[in-house]
Amino acid sequence: MTFEIENVSKTFVSNDSDEEVLALKDINLTIETGKFISLVGPSGCGKTTLLRIIEGFVKPTEGTVKDDGEIVTGPSNQRGFIFQNYSLFPWLNVIDNVIFGLNIGGKPEKESKERAMKYLEDVGLKDFAERYPHELSGGMKQRVAIIRSLINDSKSLLMDETFSALDVQTKHKLQKQIHEICKEQNKTIIFVTHDIDEAVFLSDEIIVLSRRPGRIKKIFEIKLEHPRNRDSEEFKDLISEITQEIGELEDE
Amino acid sequence: MNNFRDEYKKEMLILPIILIIIWYFICDYFQLIPVYMFPGPTDVATSFVKLIVSGKLFKDIFETIYKVLFGMLLASVVGITLGILLGWFNRLETLCKLIISILRPIPPIAWIPFSIIWFGIGVGPAVFIIFMGCVFPILLSTIDGVHRTDPVLIEAAESFGASNSQMLTEVIIPSSLPYIVSGLKIATGIALMCTISGEMIGSSSGIGYMILTSTNLFDTGSTVVGMLVIGVIGIIFDYIFTKIQERIFW
Repeated sequence: MTFEIENVSKTFVSNDSDEEVLALKDINLTIETGKFISLVGPSGCGKTTLLRIIEGFVKPTEGTVKDDGEIVTGPSNQRGFIFQNYSLFPWLNVIDNVIFGLNIGGKPEKESKERAMKYLEDVGLKDFAERYPHELSGGMKQRVAIIRSLINDSKSLLMDETFSALDVQTKHKLQKQIHEICKEQNKTIIFVTHDIDEAVFLSDEIIVLSRRPGRIKKIFEIKLEHPRNRDSEEFKDLISEITQEIGELEDE
Repeated sequence: MNNFRDEYKKEMLILPIILIIIWYFICDYFQLIPVYMFPGPTDVATSFVKLIVSGKLFKDIFETIYKVLFGMLLASVVGITLGILLGWFNRLETLCKLIISILRPIPPIAWIPFSIIWFGIGVGPAVFIIFMGCVFPILLSTIDGVHRTDPVLIEAAESFGASNSQMLTEVIIPSSLPYIVSGLKIATGIALMCTISGEMIGSSSGIGYMILTSTNLFDTGSTVVGMLVIGVIGIIFDYIFTKIQERIFW
């Protein structure tokens, strides 16, 4: 068992007025080690907030998150986090970006660079090791951001709409890569997305959150075998079922 | 690109050459203005050669640049260190905000009386005035740089387990560097201004001193040489900082 989310609620106080907004309400969730979980829901349902609470960027107003039994009080290198918009350090070249976490952890630079080169080779960026982020396309940047998190061997990986800015081909390729790597290393993944196709393709479980305040509306277990066939009837049925579920929420 | 640059450079020279020709005709050829009012180009050239031959010009340039660099160095050490601290610790900034707001608009020249009382005559008062003139632009641009650090980069570093000191050295400082450098660039211009004014009052050397004393002797040629030298030093500093800024592209 990796994550135990107990009675988590989150209230935001807006800056201009003292108005309180309830973003999340009574979230209870257990996520087992090695599972690939997707959080989906209508926009503004608080799925990203929940992810940020799990990492420790944001403190819940009520309730606790436990990672392997320990209460989360702040961000940790045990939980990798991949942002929507690349978040590469613009002053570092690709390879120095990739080994950032290893450097912070005091790992010897030579070995780190050798490992980084292997990762870069895996995602087809070996020739770009010395380039700077501004010289890369969006897809390349996101690949660098992904391996920058993977290389730290964190037990879990939290991904916030990581593939949303990419074109379909790059997206499908990266989805396959991330799935293979994570299953190989038995990582726990929590994935926030609004792309139902992506969620069904990758997840063991899909958690649908309701409109604000976000509550767990429904949990879908996806038992299709990997690699999943996007053209199969079951795949299409699941997509329309989940889409309908969210659509009802949007209409409420 | 290269072609464009050369053309650009050539075009830059047209207007100054025309102005020098007009200047020559007004002051030297027709002698419409007496030399003690304003010198012609030949007077300036003569003074320039004399100042070079005697070695006085190099000595004064060296003196002035030395003071500028010394004052800038002190202002950078204080301004950058304080700027990073105030930028990072909000409460410290609130604590210091009013003092900075009051001290900042005081023209550095206004410190001349105290600079003479405290440091006498010589390098001291000039360095102090340069310091007072430069420390605020450096401080404020550093604070600004720290504030503008992308919060996502801070969170990213946190998720890699960065400690507070690593956050500072690996994220905050590199991210603020472009702002710090543009603060330094602004400060060099101010430093030159302060140096010259300081040298005119509490000093016995440097370009400012040379400008003032030469005018007293009606040697207006040397006065103009001094003024032009300041302009050239300014261009060189500007060029150096522009080159540095090109390397800090983020």
